Amino acid sequence: MLPLPSIYRGIWRVAVHTIRTRGSPHSRHLCTHNGAPAGLVDADTIFALSSGHGRCGVAVVRVSGPASATALRCMAGLTRSLPSPRTALLRSITDPQSKEVLDRGLVLWFPGPHSFTGEDSVEFHIHGGPAVITAVLQALGSVPGMRPAEAGEFTRRAFQAGKLGLTEVEGLGDLIHAETEAQRRQALRQMSGELGRLYQDWTHKLKRCLAHVEAFIDFSEDELIEDGVLNQVDRSLYDLQTEMERHLKDERRGERLRSGVQVVIAGATNAGKSSLLNALCQRPAAIVSPIAGTTRDVVETALDIGGFPVLLSDTAGLRDSPDLVEREGVRRARERVEQADLTLVVVDCAPLPFDTQQAVAFLQEHLRSVLPSQEQHHTDRCLLVLNKTDLLPEEQRQTLDGELRWISGLPPVCLLSCHTNEGLHDFLTVLHSSVKTLCGDPLSSAPTLTQARHRAHLQQCVAALAQYQQYRDTDLALAAEGVRLALTSLGRITGRVGAEEILDIIFKDFCIGK
Amino acid sequence: MLTTKLPPLQRCLLLVSRRASHLARQQYDVIVVGGGHAGTEAAAAAARVGAETLLVTQKIHTIGALSCNPSLGGVGKGQLVKEVDALDGLCGRAGDWAGIHFSILNRRKGPAVWGPRAQLDRQRYRQFIQSELLSTPRLTVLEGSVEELLITEPDPEKPGHHRVTGIHLANGSHPISASSVVLTTGTFLSGSLFMGQTTSPGGRIGDAPSSAGISHTLRERLGLRIGRLRTGTPPRIVKKSVDFSQAELHLPDSQPTPFSFLNTRTCCKPEEQLPCHLTLTTEGVERVVQESLHLNCHIHQDTKGPRYCPSIESRVLRFPGRKHQVWLEPEGVNSELVYPQGLSMTMPPDMQLRLIREIPALHQAEIHTPGYGVQYDFVCPTQLSPALQVKSAQGLFLAGQINGTTGYEEAAAQGLWAGVNAARWALHMPSVALSRTESYIGVLIDDLVSRGVTEPYRMFTSRAEFRTSLRPDNADLRLTLKGFEEVGCVSSIRYQEAVRVRDTLHEGLAALQALVLSTPTWRKKLPDMGMSEAKSTVLTGMDVLQYKDMSFEMLASVFPESLSHYMEFSQRLKIEAVYRPHCDRQKKEIERIQKEENMSLPQDIDYFSLPVSLSQEVREILDRVRPSTLGAATRLQGMTPAAIVHLLNYVRHSGQKDRTHSNQKEETEEELCAQNASLPQ
Repeated sequence: MLPLPSIYRGIWRVAVHTIRTRGSPHSRHLCTHNGAPAGLVDADTIFALSSGHGRCGVAVVRVSGPASATALRCMAGLTRSLPSPRTALLRSITDPQSKEVLDRGLVLWFPGPHSFTGEDSVEFHIHGGPAVITAVLQALGSVPGMRPAEAGEFTRRAFQAGKLGLTEVEGLGDLIHAETEAQRRQALRQMSGELGRLYQDWTHKLKRCLAHVEAFIDFSEDELIEDGVLNQVDRSLYDLQTEMERHLKDERRGERLRSGVQVVIAGATNAGKSSLLNALCQRPAAIVSPIAGTTRDVVETALDIGGFPVLLSDTAGLRDSPDLVEREGVRRARERVEQADLTLVVVDCAPLPFDTQQAVAFLQEHLRSVLPSQEQHHTDRCLLVLNKTDLLPEEQRQTLDGELRWISGLPPVCLLSCHTNEGLHDFLTVLHSSVKTLCGDPLSSAPTLTQARHRAHLQQCVAALAQYQQYRDTDLALAAEGVRLALTSLGRITGRVGAEEILDIIFKDFCIGK
Repeated sequence: MLTTKLPPLQRCLLLVSRRASHLARQQYDVIVVGGGHAGTEAAAAAARVGAETLLVTQKIHTIGALSCNPSLGGVGKGQLVKEVDALDGLCGRAGDWAGIHFSILNRRKGPAVWGPRAQLDRQRYRQFIQSELLSTPRLTVLEGSVEELLITEPDPEKPGHHRVTGIHLANGSHPISASSVVLTTGTFLSGSLFMGQTTSPGGRIGDAPSSAGISHTLRERLGLRIGRLRTGTPPRIVKKSVDFSQAELHLPDSQPTPFSFLNTRTCCKPEEQLPCHLTLTTEGVERVVQESLHLNCHIHQDTKGPRYCPSIESRVLRFPGRKHQVWLEPEGVNSELVYPQGLSMTMPPDMQLRLIREIPALHQAEIHTPGYGVQYDFVCPTQLSPALQVKSAQGLFLAGQINGTTGYEEAAAQGLWAGVNAARWALHMPSVALSRTESYIGVLIDDLVSRGVTEPYRMFTSRAEFRTSLRPDNADLRLTLKGFEEVGCVSSIRYQEAVRVRDTLHEGLAALQALVLSTPTWRKKLPDMGMSEAKSTVLTGMDVLQYKDMSFEMLASVFPESLSHYMEFSQRLKIEAVYRPHCDRQKKEIERIQKEENMSLPQDIDYFSLPVSLSQEVREILDRVRPSTLGAATRLQGMTPAAIVHLLNYVRHSGQKDRTHSNQKEETEEELCAQNASLPQ
């Protein structure tokens, strides 16, 4: 099952929980479940955290599909009857396996077709702490026939049933655009980490194994491909399976995925980026000096801004440098900006032209040099910090302050001096409101949800590899199917692998004739 | 079904014309240009669908010629042959008639990837195809060279910028008009032959080059994007000069398996089959390639060749220091020649002789005809619809190497499908498409029209994502029923047989399902099966048949009263039992893709003015490729998820408006199919 629905599925991989469109549809044909390994029942029931990530009092976990009633019964201790439809009921929510009480919260039962998705649905309204949410999601995952929703899947089911109106659909398109942006950023962030490298490495190995099995199937009777190829594949797949199983047993979580809103300070050298970091965390976390290029690596600090978790990174000043170390620093800086939820672009305001028009042009040019191209229209993902106002004549400072704030096409502008702390308080207010928006925005990284999904895909991957072992000696086509399924499951974390990519490896590794 | 006699030729000859002035008519429903694997299937399929069809070819006696290797089928390709046969095409039956060495490749790798294959007698293959075509009702064959396509203004009711109305022959006689034209020109479109440092125009050695008119029309008049591809063929070797004692003997299957679902045996008797021989290249071969490089302009021509190795030169250059396999294949029962598979080469003839003599079994070999390379034009296939019609030209269909593929089977598959759709276009029936979820033909066509080609496209089983469902054994169930009921290209005899097979298999599986026994009872009945002692559950006959060493015959011998009736299909039942659970699991994914493929995007959409929010970049991609379905659109590079949502929404809303319209169309389609089915095939 190689070329999976590609882009189309990508749409639905965006975070589900944002969309609160009403409507109730059901269409199981178009849902994106693929290649469920043995053990999962046919018609899948999906679940996801439907409320935002970040600090919140109440979290809503939504379940949809035929096993919803089962989930409700075994998690809310309702052995006999289901609650009356669409009525809130206060229950203890327990883990169906361990019987441990996870939380006390409201449960709601929406029998189809009068539900959000048209299918039987259940909502759990639980306390908003990450521990509770994780526990409930994991408990749901242990109910037979349940799997974490692909992003957007609830809405997809709604959409496919044709319950959404024209304007809602137009809105959905725009929303999906925003979501894919957020998703792209999140994926970049995960993929550049240790975990990302591990997954990529697995994908690479699996691809190679699949290519060699496929080569053995398609070419071994005509070309010189020896049986030894398969023995090597056996070993590699066995090792991979063992490694993944070990990884799944490993309960250490969270440490590899960075959480919190990613705020990155960026700008030209000597604009005062490190001074801003120090001012924000109220301690000398970064070395500051008047020498351009002092900061060469990324300096990270975890901060709490108005109650929201923020990971603040100071980066090397962006300039072309002959120095290898500094060049690497600049590369890392650009990478960070690329992955950021919010970028603070720091500008030394001393060289700013006096004329407002020219100043705007100057700042726009500057933004272009700092932000990655696809971000340049997203002014809401950026704050412009004009530093060193203490060096400006009072008159110019006031003109700038008065006029630049209201120029459209520029992100919010803050004037401050890290030297005198003038304007810092106003800046903090602006930063706080930006971070608040981002945290309320469930699109910003939600590690629990991401992890639950990764886990499910990895489990499917391991189960599929077992299929290879099962059929290795009796039916190579069915064994290869196992590797294909494994790669598809892993591909849902690291990206789809198409048939052409497999053929590339085959043609590179083996001499295949006409 | 397989007669040892060919159809009476006298009767057929009436339908043949060597001169256009002898033609009974100057107007046809479908004209097929080219008599290769694509052209012959196209002509036969168009006639089966019910169109008055004319096949124009340079020489009648080269119709059905195997220009390159004397074999049919293989892994992936064998699936195509089975599917062409399931749709009542020619090549499967021709293979059964002409085969002289049958084997199923991948026999030990699982039935989904079995590769039915045969060595062919070139002469017998040609005979079969020719006599079959010449006896096909509604089909006329004309010897001639096509000078020009006739092009006029399009029918404004339908999408397209031009309309093809017929052909002009080279000898200046009257134009012949037709509603559809199928071009299957193979390597003849601006073809040139290469050997050593010499080049000459042509598509195959010994045949005249075709006129530049068609190429010019496609390029200039229709504005199609054209690319250039290369291929080659090995030297033919004099059989009696080969020292077979120095090669490894490879025997065919002791019991030949026919390609065709209609045949229970092959024409060639098991004991009359000829063997193949396998040998390996040596260091000397590598040396000759290196030494002849400066004399080999085909190899120098362009550097961005295909990823695979089409010639011995590319093998040696890309994978030096290795031994490469060379198969010595028979060319026919009475042929004095041997075909060295794996030795395609374009070096000068004297160097070719030096090279082959570096191989021990060929140390005294003589070359009958030297190998050569061919370069030819192809039309970038993304310009085609899934019906293989040129999107911008109404009534123009392309099939075979002109679409960038390589291989007889790939050509035959496209030919059949282009012929079907050309006939349906001419008879005012809606076009039909095969999905990649139901057939290798669907995979082939979808890959071509939605991804295009950068190297000659060849079928591999790894290209089919639903490989375990698309097996050679069930091609009839997948396609014959649809071919009769929806497409109109299958005879009622074949249809009735497929219905019988389907029903019997159904009953057989139900009988297996109904055999429910506890594990201890199974153990008692089948003591040798080694069923585990621990389990004491109930198992059905289906479950037990899934055991590795359990055959249907063994079950039937224990339960003769309920199962012996199905012995005819013992192998198919075993395969069904093993694959059923896996196929059931794929069903949902298949349904999803089919649903997306059923959402067709109108071909005349002006993407630039479509009142939905799409970025300029996406509009350009859509405008350039013009995907036929939403499914195809999702596979395009550069499409954004948001754009798909907008398109999906557009399709749903425009689809509702069209519904009444298409209902009427379906009715006419049914009528026509019914008419067609009652006609003699």
